[in-house]
Amino acid sequence: MHFLAPLAFLFAASIPVVIVFYLLKRKRVVKLVSSTLLWRKYLAETQASAPFQKLRKNWLLILQIILLALVVFALARPYFATKAKPAQLRVVILDASASMQATDETPSRFEKARAEALKWVDGLAGNDQMVVLQAGANTEVKQSATTEKAALRRAFQACVCSDGPTRLVPALKMAESLVRDLDPRTNPEIHLFSDGAVPELNEFENKALPLVFHRVGKDANNVGITALDARSNPEDARQRAIYASIANFSTNSQQTEVELLFDDRLLETRSITIAATETSPQVFLAAQPRDGVFTVRLTAKDDLAVDNQASIVSLLPKPVKALLVSRGNRLLERALRAVPNVELAVATDLTDPATGFDFVVLDGVTPTVWPGGNVLAIHVVNTNWVQGVTQVESPPIVDWKSAHPLLRYAGFDNVQVMQSLSAKTPTWATSLVEAPQAPLMFAGELGRQRIIWIGFDTLESNWPLRVSYPIFVANAVEWLNPANARSGQLLVKAGDPFRLALTEPAASAQVTLPGGAAKSLTLDPSASELVFGDTLKQGTYKVRLGTNDTVFCVNLLDAAESNIKPHEAVELGKYTKVTATTKHRANMELWRTIAAIGLLVLLFEWWYYHRRTV
Amino acid sequence: MPDALITPELLRRLEQFQLLAARRAKSSAKGERRSRARGQSVEFADYRTYVHGDDFRYLDWNLYGRLDRLFLKLYEEERERPVRMFLDASESMTFGEPRKFDFARQVAAAIGYVALSGFDRVSVNPFPDLVNGPESDPAARTMELAARGALRSVRGKKSALQFFQNLGALTAGGSANLNQALRRGALEARRAGLAVVISDFLDPEGYEAGLTALVGRGFQVDLVQILAPDELSPTTFGDLNLVDSETGAHQEVTFGRFRLKAYRQTVQNFVQRLREYCQARGINFFTASSNTDLQDLLLKQLRKAEVWG
Repeated sequence: MHFLAPLAFLFAASIPVVIVFYLLKRKRVVKLVSSTLLWRKYLAETQASAPFQKLRKNWLLILQIILLALVVFALARPYFATKAKPAQLRVVILDASASMQATDETPSRFEKARAEALKWVDGLAGNDQMVVLQAGANTEVKQSATTEKAALRRAFQACVCSDGPTRLVPALKMAESLVRDLDPRTNPEIHLFSDGAVPELNEFENKALPLVFHRVGKDANNVGITALDARSNPEDARQRAIYASIANFSTNSQQTEVELLFDDRLLETRSITIAATETSPQVFLAAQPRDGVFTVRLTAKDDLAVDNQASIVSLLPKPVKALLVSRGNRLLERALRAVPNVELAVATDLTDPATGFDFVVLDGVTPTVWPGGNVLAIHVVNTNWVQGVTQVESPPIVDWKSAHPLLRYAGFDNVQVMQSLSAKTPTWATSLVEAPQAPLMFAGELGRQRIIWIGFDTLESNWPLRVSYPIFVANAVEWLNPANARSGQLLVKAGDPFRLALTEPAASAQVTLPGGAAKSLTLDPSASELVFGDTLKQGTYKVRLGTNDTVFCVNLLDAAESNIKPHEAVELGKYTKVTATTKHRANMELWRTIAAIGLLVLLFEWWYYHRRTV
Repeated sequence: MPDALITPELLRRLEQFQLLAARRAKSSAKGERRSRARGQSVEFADYRTYVHGDDFRYLDWNLYGRLDRLFLKLYEEERERPVRMFLDASESMTFGEPRKFDFARQVAAAIGYVALSGFDRVSVNPFPDLVNGPESDPAARTMELAARGALRSVRGKKSALQFFQNLGALTAGGSANLNQALRRGALEARRAGLAVVISDFLDPEGYEAGLTALVGRGFQVDLVQILAPDELSPTTFGDLNLVDSETGAHQEVTFGRFRLKAYRQTVQNFVQRLREYCQARGINFFTASSNTDLQDLLLKQLRKAEVWG
């Protein structure tokens, strides 16, 4: 053992002082008693003739000397010169997703998880480090690696539960990067405090992640809205159809009132009963006098409140202005005209960017000036979009993406193509129809421009004779209609950024949050779009840009998140899973106990002294 | 002076009592106690065959009529029983509120009065002997010596008043040796009888030897221990320098309220040891605090303890 401050042993000189105090004669009160016979037991303790005999068995003195010796010992700052054990790193991931707001734990899962995590902070050994990550819709580093417990506690206190879904992959990636290159002897650990409602984590299957899963949550009593959409009523164009999917995730059937509101005005209420683990689709029909917000609300008392309400911005349908640039394709033209609410213009060439149209259909005509808006390009080559275009003869159609909105109800059975252009699918697009050589059709968004590219001339195929052709055209009109694209942008999932294209440069914008708080944004004058990321709380947001107001809605609408059943394990792929730990291992520091013992010794000494005197 | 020791009312109540004796009186003087000796009384004891010279008055003529033989009726001789009281008059008895010595004199007066009422001879042995202190008044000393002399033998109820006066004249002081006083008393007694020892028994030398001497001499011994309330439960705490009133020895002691319970236990142990010693030797033992109600003690407690009945 060594000492950092050996000079402190000079304080040991105070020990004889204590002894001298004991040798000093106490002033005693003289009292005449009948006989000292009954006092003999007490006389024996203090009888002393020689000074040092007085000090024998004097526990008060011994206690005081022990205390003083300990103080001197501590002041000398003793230490052991040993090989320092490498510091351990613990990465704590606190799930801050919507499901953590569930109140099956008191007061909530998130608070319980926070309290558990704080216990681990208390149990952190002297030189061990901890990192605090908050995993909600986004991953936030609340505290980088530190040994300072106060900072770690502050970091946990600063964590806020969001209304967004769990996106654990970025958090785990970050945690993995922190522990990956550490010395394995340091035994780094990633502690996940969550209810286990996490999306697939396949990519961590073979990473041997040192993950410890701390499960919170007990029950799964929840009814929630998992999908919401507003469209024109196909049977009555003056009405809007609001589609809501309501799921019951509890093990009992649940009854709830479903309310439909338009701009906070109650339109309709219906009572429904949903069987256990079932989903009930609900369609409301309502007249819509103006652009506004439809809100669907559930009145059921369940453990998770955030998914009991969802809103959607519904814009009044406007006629779609389309321009067909073609040398003559009656089938295509007829198919376009068959789509309701389309105002079609036809031209043989395009000499301007066609800004007056919602979208342009290029049917085998390479325009003089490429359009600036959305485009359906058929058998046209634009080198900005595709490269290395070749010609293929009679390409057989082997596959198509029937799940894509463009191919909804539009199959490519019995469609033959005589010849087609073939190009590699660009990075911004998704291949929709596949031939063995190359895609025949792809669609995607380049910049703010939606593009559908078809490699073959439809007139050189039997596709226009198939029933899927007009359906595809109708789907294409809907997909390319900028109003639809815009209303899609106005429905944002909690935690996702809201993007708004700027028609003219603006210096600032003001966003009103659901609670009524306002946030000012400073924009780059050269920016072409506004991006607002603070969408952690669900509700209706309002963006004021100059004199224009844009309303958008933030919702959870996530079945995985609404299913608040706590999971026993976190699955990392098919074959790996991390079971919830039941251990609450924590390195309890001893200094508090030792200090308490010291205090008890002091109290005992005080008591002993008073017992002897009065 | 009798008023100071014992009230007339209490005296009247005491007259109905009689000291209980387990043993027969052995005195040679006549009295009212049954004895083994045969003599004149009304209490029939036995018959014996007539021998020449016997008093005809004691012949049982009815028996002669039936058996035609002469028998003499024998009667128990009633004799006095000496009651010897050993009164602790040492310095330690001057403590307490009320003083232990005052209480002891009252008890002695009561026992003495009951004995005198029963035609028993009473003698009071105050110990230690009167010390001749430098500041003592010679006249008072002479008075007390006379009183002590008079208390050595008192007989007859008519002497009660004088007995009380003499008891009242006694003073306490000096260092006592209980063993020595009891042993001397046992030796001096010509006839054994009832010995009553009234003391606090706080003698560093102990009490065993003296009591053994009394029992060995054939006395029936009654012990009355009197302790001051302050001795049973002290009220002074802190760092004390205790001075023994008899030996003058200084002793330093640190005494706190926390130790009160332990002290009381010490006193209890002391009393218990004395009680067990007495029980083993057939001695009546009785202990009282000097602030005990005298009437209650005499009329109830001592009666219950079978000192008298």
